[in-house]
Amino acid sequence: MSSNPANYYLIIYIKKKANDADLLYNEIYQTKGMTIMKKKGMTLGLLLSGAGLLILLHMTGESYLNGLAGANRQMQADTKEYMYKYDMIVDNPESSFWQAVYASAEKWARENDSLLELKGTDEESQYTKLDYMNVSIASRADGIILQYSGEDGLEDKIDEAVADGIPVVTLMNDAVHSKRQTFVGVSDYQLGSAYGEKVADYVTRDTKNILILLKRNIDDMNQSQIYTQISNAAQAKTGAGQPVTVSVKNLLSSGTFGTEEAVTDIFQQRNKVPDILVCMDADTTECARQAVLDFNLAGKVTIIGYYTSPDILTAVEKGVLALTCDVDTEQMGKYSIEALTEFQKDGRSNSYYNVDINFLDKDAVRALRREGLSE
Amino acid sequence: MKRIRWKDFSLVSKIVIEVGLIAGLLFTMNLLFYVRINSSMQKMDNVYASNAQLTDLSQVFEQVQDNMYEYLKVKSSQSLMDYYQNEARYRNELEKLNDKNINDSVKLLERNIRKMSETYLDCTAETVAAKRGRNVEKYKRKYEDSTRLYSYIQTAIDELNNQLFKENTSSYSVLRQMMRYLEISNIIFMLVIVAVGMILLIMATRGMFRPLTSMAETAQLVGQGNFHVKMPDTDSQDELGEVTRAFNTMVENLDVYMAKTKESMEKEQQMMERELLMENHLKEAQLKYLQSQINPHFLFNSLNAGAQLAMMEDAEKTGIFVEKMADFFRYNVKKGQEDATLGEELEAVDNYIYILNVRFAGDIHFSSDVDESVENVRVPSMILQPVVENAVNHGIRDIDWEGQIHLTVTRDPRGICISICDNGKGMSEEEIQNVLSGNKEHSTQEGDSTGIGMNNVISRLELYYEQPDLLEIYSEGAGKGTEVVIHIPLIR
Repeated sequence: MSSNPANYYLIIYIKKKANDADLLYNEIYQTKGMTIMKKKGMTLGLLLSGAGLLILLHMTGESYLNGLAGANRQMQADTKEYMYKYDMIVDNPESSFWQAVYASAEKWARENDSLLELKGTDEESQYTKLDYMNVSIASRADGIILQYSGEDGLEDKIDEAVADGIPVVTLMNDAVHSKRQTFVGVSDYQLGSAYGEKVADYVTRDTKNILILLKRNIDDMNQSQIYTQISNAAQAKTGAGQPVTVSVKNLLSSGTFGTEEAVTDIFQQRNKVPDILVCMDADTTECARQAVLDFNLAGKVTIIGYYTSPDILTAVEKGVLALTCDVDTEQMGKYSIEALTEFQKDGRSNSYYNVDINFLDKDAVRALRREGLSE
Repeated sequence: MKRIRWKDFSLVSKIVIEVGLIAGLLFTMNLLFYVRINSSMQKMDNVYASNAQLTDLSQVFEQVQDNMYEYLKVKSSQSLMDYYQNEARYRNELEKLNDKNINDSVKLLERNIRKMSETYLDCTAETVAAKRGRNVEKYKRKYEDSTRLYSYIQTAIDELNNQLFKENTSSYSVLRQMMRYLEISNIIFMLVIVAVGMILLIMATRGMFRPLTSMAETAQLVGQGNFHVKMPDTDSQDELGEVTRAFNTMVENLDVYMAKTKESMEKEQQMMERELLMENHLKEAQLKYLQSQINPHFLFNSLNAGAQLAMMEDAEKTGIFVEKMADFFRYNVKKGQEDATLGEELEAVDNYIYILNVRFAGDIHFSSDVDESVENVRVPSMILQPVVENAVNHGIRDIDWEGQIHLTVTRDPRGICISICDNGKGMSEEEIQNVLSGNKEHSTQEGDSTGIGMNNVISRLELYYEQPDLLEIYSEGAGKGTEVVIHIPLIR
């Protein structure tokens, strides 16, 4: 057709190229269209995931903050307002005995819409029980539970409190000459005879000295019931032919760490170590246990203890202590609150609540342990 | 109402909106951080507020005691006034303390302090009253009581302060944790927002300029000569939409223009080719005349001289013969390169037949039937004579019967129909095809031919009219004669 074949081929070449380019372009455009759609989806996904991430962050963050703040507010959330406020004043509030009594009393107090505050002489404070009584009276407590040990002026304070309309419950020992509302505990007579009976079990032909460790004023006639009962029981066991010296040591005014020092003193004078040592409170018992171990006198001195802290029970189980007197702390706490509640309700209450006591020896402790385990 | 679409915004608006959005996002983020940090700061401030408050209380309390002591010592009215003032202040301060039995050590201490302080204030009031009443014994006793209470309260306040400090310290550490958390979370927030913002910005900007990129690609393709590519249709009203549509229109128009140009170029090419071919054939025809090694001018001048001589000698027939010869050759020479009228062609045929009849003593019976209205139609020159020559040479020569040639020129719907019909030897179908396809050259064999062959006539007819099959040959076989029909289209 064309006179110049080269020209003809050039035209064909251009057309072919254009056609190829056309196809190529369409292909490019199609892929591009797909990419655009993909990109749109990607943008949307990106936006959504970004927003989701932010929301997640925000939510976890807020819950974390709430958790932080919540931990702080927790204490306040548990608070509750009570009708009455009682103070419990004891000698050594950190001791497990008083902690047990307080736990019981506190439980009963809460059930009776009352708040119980435990106060007492401890390493932090220089206050005496008299001071605490003053504070309680000044801060207008609705009732005072007081461990009475015959301190000077304490009975007057009890009267002062009662005069201000604050009922006072004495624990452990009775302030018989005061206007105290109620006494919760074991009467000295009862305690004395129970101990006397047990002491008599351990009195042998070799028994010469019996030492009773008390934390109260021995001059008080009433308190001597313990001494009298133990002494009588021991004498009755040995008979007239064998004189037994029964002595009493008062550890009341010994002050901080005084109990431990006094007990150590007893064991330091080898020839004067008593054959039977009777401890009338938990602190003394624990000190005596430690001293016996320190001086390697276990088995040579028969110790009759008081209260059932884990340490004391272990000592009984191992034979370091012969016996220990188990005072029902649960009852003690419960009766104290019962007396105060009754007073708030009726204006009067029982003047005497008796708390059960029970002696535990090695076998009894083991039985108790098994019981505890099986439970 | 027309819906406002994103793609209808102008580029400037788009960029401004996008940057504005990002700025707004960042601003919101800053605001959020500010609020969060501010609330934390407030909490921080509150932490030790209780301690500060208690210190105030303690100071007023001390002043009460001091004022009372001062009054008891000097009994000045100033100290009494101070005492009353501070007592009132202290009572006010006490109001802020809890007085309920609440099982929280701090609350309980507050209660104790409040109750004790009330007792204490009663006691100091009695002391002051006793002093004013000059009841020496009583005021001394009461002063002692007050002082004792004072120490209890002071101790209690100290303890409360301690407890508050402990509590505040723990909440301070909680706050520290919160601040730390805020710090970290703020950084993460910031990073996420900035990252997302950047990505969005990049994507949006890309989306904005994507048409430009694809337009560049398309333009490249168009530049390579592909006019079938187009930008995807868009109805967006921004600048790029306008440019895209303009671009598409441009490509379309370019395509049309290119097609037109190509077409006209092809036409020109064809025309040139045809002219070239025509020239070739004429050259060929002329060559044939030259090959006859006759100088036609000399020949027909000589013939004219011969004719005049014959006239002078009264040889009329010879004169006419020689004159016709001269006319015939003159026509051949004159019309060799251009077209002629049909009338001139017919005259050339008449001359040729006359010459032949003189040569062959009237053996050729030629008749013609011509529609005179077509004599002025222009046709390629030298097309009838060669056909008639063929009819004489191959048709009626050497036959036993009387040879006749009949020429008819008529109008027909296609144009003009020229028929040369003889009653000679006739042709087989094969011979006809050979002649029509130009395979067999009849004209070469004879010495007395005018030199123009049938295929030359056919070619020139086709070139002249740009149509095939203008010459047809019909024969019913050997001895049945031949008819050659030439169609002259009227439209040229």
